[in-house]
Amino acid sequence: MDVAANPLLSVDRLTIDIAGAHVVDEVSFTVAPGKVIALVGESGCGKSLTSYAMLGLLPPAARRTEGRIMLENVDLAVISERRFRKVRGKDISIIFQEPSASLDPLTTVGEQIAEAYRVHHGVSKTEAFEKARQMLVDVGIPDPGRRMYQYPFELSGGMCQRIMISIALICGPRVLIADEPTTALDVTIQAQILDLMKKLVAERGTAIVLITHDMGVVADIADDVAVMYAGRIAEIAPVHALFREPKHPYTALLLASVPKLDDAPKADLATIEGMVPNPSEFGVGCRFADRCPLATDKCRLEQPSLVDCGNGHRSACWHIDRLAEIRKVAT
Amino acid sequence: MNGTKNVLEIRDVAVHFGGRSGLLSGTGPVVKAVNGVDLRIGHAETVALVGESGCGKSTLSNTIVGLQAPASGSVRINGEEVVGAGKKKLNDIRRKVQMIFQDPALSLDPRSTVGATIAEPMIVRGVASGKELKARVATLLQQVGLRAEHADRYPHQFSGGQRQRIVIARALALEPDLVICDEPVSALDVSVRAQILNLLVALQKRTGVSYLFVSHDLGVVRHICDRVVVMYLGRFVEMADRDTFFANPKHPYTKALMSAVPEADPVVQRSKERLILSGELPSPANIPSGCAFHTRCPLATEICSRERPELTPRADGARVACHHA
Repeated sequence: MDVAANPLLSVDRLTIDIAGAHVVDEVSFTVAPGKVIALVGESGCGKSLTSYAMLGLLPPAARRTEGRIMLENVDLAVISERRFRKVRGKDISIIFQEPSASLDPLTTVGEQIAEAYRVHHGVSKTEAFEKARQMLVDVGIPDPGRRMYQYPFELSGGMCQRIMISIALICGPRVLIADEPTTALDVTIQAQILDLMKKLVAERGTAIVLITHDMGVVADIADDVAVMYAGRIAEIAPVHALFREPKHPYTALLLASVPKLDDAPKADLATIEGMVPNPSEFGVGCRFADRCPLATDKCRLEQPSLVDCGNGHRSACWHIDRLAEIRKVAT
Repeated sequence: MNGTKNVLEIRDVAVHFGGRSGLLSGTGPVVKAVNGVDLRIGHAETVALVGESGCGKSTLSNTIVGLQAPASGSVRINGEEVVGAGKKKLNDIRRKVQMIFQDPALSLDPRSTVGATIAEPMIVRGVASGKELKARVATLLQQVGLRAEHADRYPHQFSGGQRQRIVIARALALEPDLVICDEPVSALDVSVRAQILNLLVALQKRTGVSYLFVSHDLGVVRHICDRVVVMYLGRFVEMADRDTFFANPKHPYTKALMSAVPEADPVVQRSKERLILSGELPSPANIPSGCAFHTRCPLATEICSRERPELTPRADGARVACHHA
């Protein structure tokens, strides 16, 4: 995986507890400048908690018990809140799923964008305002001079998401966390926003951590993919390798359950029986064992670690050699 | 159910909002949410209604179940007219049409047991009572892949996918001929999405129910539907059989939608021809002249802003409303 060459952000064995359960368990990944890593998984897999930890925004009930979050040589996991305030929004920032819920309804969007810049750079209002206007041009908002003075309710969902991206990027952060950035948008607008993100990554060398459950979005924009299940990384790989030859039964079944071009209409889709376990029910073995068609006693008793399968492809499964059976089940 | 009769037949339906003078304002703009559409759905057929927010698909769904009165046009369910029907008649017609919504958590009463929720439509209609009612609830639960003892539990004790199964069980309680599925799997996790789609297909095979399937996920549409209708700003712009539709999409908006939906395959996705639409959906209160799509259309010429194209049949059976397709 080429991100290993020169990681900008490196999350190492991050573990987060809620009520004594490891809801994020030894999660490790790295991302290099100008690259996109996708954290993929279903609700409750820990992908959002992981991203909040990177911003020092864990909810009170959650506690990091282990691991490091290195942004170059600073460990974000241990720095004080006071120090974090200088980093958050400047070196690492976030865009959320629901733009209209993330913007202040009583402040013009121009002021909201300028504020982020003023706080971190201590410049005059006029200078910050001009910078914000320039930012609106960069994210492709027509007529920025007028838009600056509008309120969020006057803008569409797609426009609001562009405003969010402006706020997140105005300080030129090195890492952008995008938490389901297009889930609330229509497909034609989603395509616009994904293209914008690709352009910004290319132009500015921003590293993106993309949180999503949409395999289509992953296929479109990610360089690397970490598939999470019940708080652990099941499989991590460069995007092409992951889709071509998944090495974890969960990934294989997930991909098989998405309807594809050459499927017979109304034929049965592959499904994953059962459901994601509650954190209080995590056993000692592989957390996917109860739903896995390949599971053996070993899987229920011993937790598999990520094993290198070559070319930066790593999977946490005792039965990587039996994956052909899944592909057969899936087709 | 008579196999030759259409379960649903709507003709030239238009739904308008506003336009009345308010207390303080003058006459507001008329929002033409649905503007003259025709659609037929046959027995055991699944028709997809595809479009983005604000295109009028939810208004059309509401009109079909009689929750919204159309400004003009006719809506027939099993040959019986819904528009202008009296309350009692409407009630009789309506039991044959049910709806499933996107978010099952919002469609279930958190304080009712699952059994009570599923039984309610049957109690209201006086279909069954006592032991028989209980037995029917149990059968319905089993049909959607749950267990009879689940009837005593509350919605919060179930996962999202199971809740959608409960919603489906309730929709099936009155043995409807048509179920309107409004984005039924969009709120669900990927692995349970497939379970629900399989369930909908299996139920159709068993009962012959027809679906109007509202969705923007073309992968799902291709999997589950027999015919596809694309809607833009209150009008149908393309309708065709599934195979024709996906093999040879014609309207530029259809093509843009297809190019915008990301394929779950990086090789296909990164090599496909991209047609990214500029701009956003215009407001339905201020629909562009001529072809409503001309403001965003890459093919638009002068005639498009002047003359509205009608849906016209093409050689392969598709019907398309475009001057240039």
